[in-house]
Amino acid sequence: MTRARRDPRAERAAAALPGAARARFDLFARCAGGRPRRDPRMEAAAQRVDGAARLRLDRAQTGRPAAAPAPSRAEPAAPPAPKTIVMAAPAFLVAVVPDLAAGRLSPHDRQLFGAARTLAGADGGVIALAGAEGAELGPAGADRTARLAGPEGYAPDARAAAIASTMAALNLRHVIFPETPDGGDLARRVAVLAGEPLFADVEMVSAAALMRPAQGRRVEQRAAPARLITLAADAVAPYAGAPREARDEPLEPSAAPASAILAAERIPADPARTPLALADFVVSAGNGVTDLETFRAVAAALGGTPGASRVLCDAGLMPREAQVGASGTVLSATCYLALGIAGAPQHLQGVAGCEHVVAVNTDLHAAMIERAGLAIVQDAQVVMPALIEELARERGAFA
Amino acid sequence: MKVAVLLSAGRHPVSGRGALPRLEAQAIRLAAALGSARGLHAGPDADVVAEALGRGLSQIDHVALAAGADPVPALAAVLRAAAPDVVLAGRRGQGGDDTGLVPYALARALGATVIPDVVAARPGSEPGVIEVEQALPKGAARRVVARLPVVLTVHPAAPEPSAFAFGQARRGRIERLDVAAPAEPAAAAIAVAEKSYRPRPKMMRGAPAGGSAADRLKAATGGGEAAQANVMVSPEPREAARAILAYLRQIGVLAPPPGAG
Ligand SMILES: Cc1cc2nc3c(=O)[nH]c(=O)nc-3n(C[C@H](O)[C@H](O)[C@H](O)COP(=O)(O)OP(=O)(O)OC[C@H]3O[C@@H](n4cnc5c(N)ncnc54)[C@H](O)[C@@H]3O)c2cc1C
Ligand SMILES: Nc1ncnc2c1ncn2[C@@H]1O[C@H](COP(=O)(O)O)[C@@H](O)[C@H]1O
Repeated sequence: MTRARRDPRAERAAAALPGAARARFDLFARCAGGRPRRDPRMEAAAQRVDGAARLRLDRAQTGRPAAAPAPSRAEPAAPPAPKTIVMAAPAFLVAVVPDLAAGRLSPHDRQLFGAARTLAGADGGVIALAGAEGAELGPAGADRTARLAGPEGYAPDARAAAIASTMAALNLRHVIFPETPDGGDLARRVAVLAGEPLFADVEMVSAAALMRPAQGRRVEQRAAPARLITLAADAVAPYAGAPREARDEPLEPSAAPASAILAAERIPADPARTPLALADFVVSAGNGVTDLETFRAVAAALGGTPGASRVLCDAGLMPREAQVGASGTVLSATCYLALGIAGAPQHLQGVAGCEHVVAVNTDLHAAMIERAGLAIVQDAQVVMPALIEELARERGAFA
Repeated sequence: MKVAVLLSAGRHPVSGRGALPRLEAQAIRLAAALGSARGLHAGPDADVVAEALGRGLSQIDHVALAAGADPVPALAAVLRAAAPDVVLAGRRGQGGDDTGLVPYALARALGATVIPDVVAARPGSEPGVIEVEQALPKGAARRVVARLPVVLTVHPAAPEPSAFAFGQARRGRIERLDVAAPAEPAAAAIAVAEKSYRPRPKMMRGAPAGGSAADRLKAATGGGEAAQANVMVSPEPREAARAILAYLRQIGVLAPPPGAG
C-alpha cells in the first residue's frame, strides 16, 4: 500500500487561524487522521499490574488503558469447575470405535473423539462403541456409550457384525475407526459387511471434507465425509472441551455369525528379541551405569527390552540397535526405565512417546529426573542389585 | 494345498516406477511353504507383475481389465472357479487407492475367513485346517488355527522376500484368462477430488495451542505433565527397588508378584 500523498498547501490552509489581520497559522494543530500523540505517562499507568507489592508493568498492554487488571501471580483466579455437557436429544449420532487396548484409551483413541466432535457439529452426538467398560469415555468426549456384546477371545467377525447391526439400528451418520492393526481390520470387515465404501487412513477432518493420501502419498483425495472412516494417528487433536455425560445407550444383542476360527492363542512378546521400536517396556542404561553385566540381568529379570544412550553405543558397550534417541530409535513404549541417563534433548526425543518414565540418577537436577514420573536420586550401581534381590526375594517367598 | 497369490500393479515408494510391492513378494515366500502357488493379477497389463516370476512363482494368471476398473468382481469370478484353499494378499496396496479393501471384499465373495497381518503360515495338524501366526503391536503375536478356505494378508514383519532370480523369471509363464465380466454390483464408490499430496506438519501431542517455542520443545521431549513427579532423594537401595517395582506394577508393565492375587 502506498502512503496517501501529502498536500502541503491544503494542510496549511486547514491550519489557518481566522479573524487575524494578517495570515496566521497554528502549525501544531494536527490534521485529522494523523498519528495521535503518545502519552508515555498514561501508557505506563495503564500497564500497571494491580495487587503486586512492587511496581510491575505488563508491557503487552500497549497504549489502551487496561479494561480489567491482569490477575496477579499471588492469587490466581480459580478456573470455573468444568460442567458436564448433557445432550438430551442429538439430531444424529457419530460413532467412535476405540481400540481400548488393555481397557484404556490410547492417545490415538482420544483423537477419534476430536474428529467425531468435528463431524457431529453442534447438534450431533458422539457415541462410543466399546467392547469393555470404560470410565474415561465421558471426559474423552462421548455423549453416549454402547456396549458391544460378543464372544470372548479373538472373534473379529462377530465384532464387525455387532457394529454393522448397530450402524443400522441407531442410524449412525459416521463411524470412525483408528487406523491401527485392530481398528483397521475391523473397519474393513464392517465395510464389506455393510456394503459401504470406506474412506481409509484419513489425515485431515473438517465438517465439510476429509482428506486421505493415496498412490503411495503421491496424491491426496478429498471427499465429503463418508459413512465409514479410519483415522491416521496424530492427524487430529483430541477432544479438549468439558466432559460429556457418556450415557448408556441400550443395544439389542445381535446373533454372532458362525466363525471358522478354531483356536487363537496370544503369544506375549519376547523382550530380548523384540525390536526396540516395538517394545512395550524398555530398560535403558547411560553413562552412569558401569556394571553392564548387572544391567543386563536387571533388564532380563524385569522383562524389559534393553536400550542405551548414545555414549554407551559409541563406546561399543552396547549394540548400536539399542540406542535410544533422535539418531537412534524413537520408542513407542509404555514405560521407560532410565538408569544413569542425564536426559539430553537428543535422548529425550526418543522417549517423547513413552507414557511413563522411571529415572535412577545421582544428579537431582538431571533432565531425566524432571521428565520422570518416579525419580530415584541414588547410585544406579546399588539400585540394580537391589532390584534383582527384591525380585528374587518375592519369588523365594512364594516358593 | 492350493494357493493363490494376489499381485497388484504397485509403484516403488521412492521412485514411483512400477514395481512388485514388497508385501506381495513376501506373500510369495509364505506361499512356498504351503503348497503349489499361482499368481493372479487383474489389470490392463501383466508386464508390471512379471517381476513376481523371478521371486518364486512359476505361473501368473492375468485377467484383462480396463484401467481404473474395480478388480474385485473379476478376481472373485476367477477364484470361485479355481477354488484355492488359501489366498494371499498384501495388507495394503502400494500405488493404487491403497485402501486394503480388496482382500476383504474377495473373502466376502468367496465365503472365506480373513486373517490379517500374517507373518507365518503352515498346514494344520488335520486336513482342511491352517495354522497361521499374526503379528500384533509391540512385538506380540497370535497363533490362529482356522478352517479353510482363508484369505491371509501379509504383514511387513513377515520373512524377507526371496532374491530375484533371472532364469526363473524367464522360465515363468503368464497366462491370460478371459472372464466374462460378471454383473456383480460394485460397491458404491466415493466421489473424490485428487490433487498432488502436500505434506502437513504432524500434530504435536500435548503441545499447547499458540504456545511458545519453549513450550513446543517441552512437549516434543515429553516434559511438562510430570512436573509434580514422585522424587525420592537418597533412599535405601531396597526401598528404592520396592518403589520401582510397585510403580511398574501399578502401570501394568510388570507381572504382579508370584502368589499375589
Ligand atoms: C547430533 C546429535 C545426536 C545425538 N543423538 C543421540 C541419540 O540419539 N541418543 C542419545 O542417547 N544421545 C544422543 N546424542 C548425545 C546426547 O547429546 C548426550 O551426549 C547423551 O545422550 C548423553 O548420554 P548419557 O546421559 O548416558 O551420559 P551423560 O551425559 O554422561 O550422563 C550420565 C548421567 O548419569 C548420572 N550418573 C553418573 N554416575 C551415576 C551413578 N553411579 N548412578 C546413577 N547415575 C549416575 C549422571 O548424573 C548423569 O546425569 C546426540 C548428540 C548429538 C550432537
Ligand atoms: N488388480 C488387482 N489384482 C490382483 N490383486 C490385487 C489387485 N488389487 C489389489 N490386489 C491385492 O489386494 C491387496 C490390497 O490392495 P488394496 O485393497 O488396493 O489396498 C494388494 O496387496 C494385492 O495383493
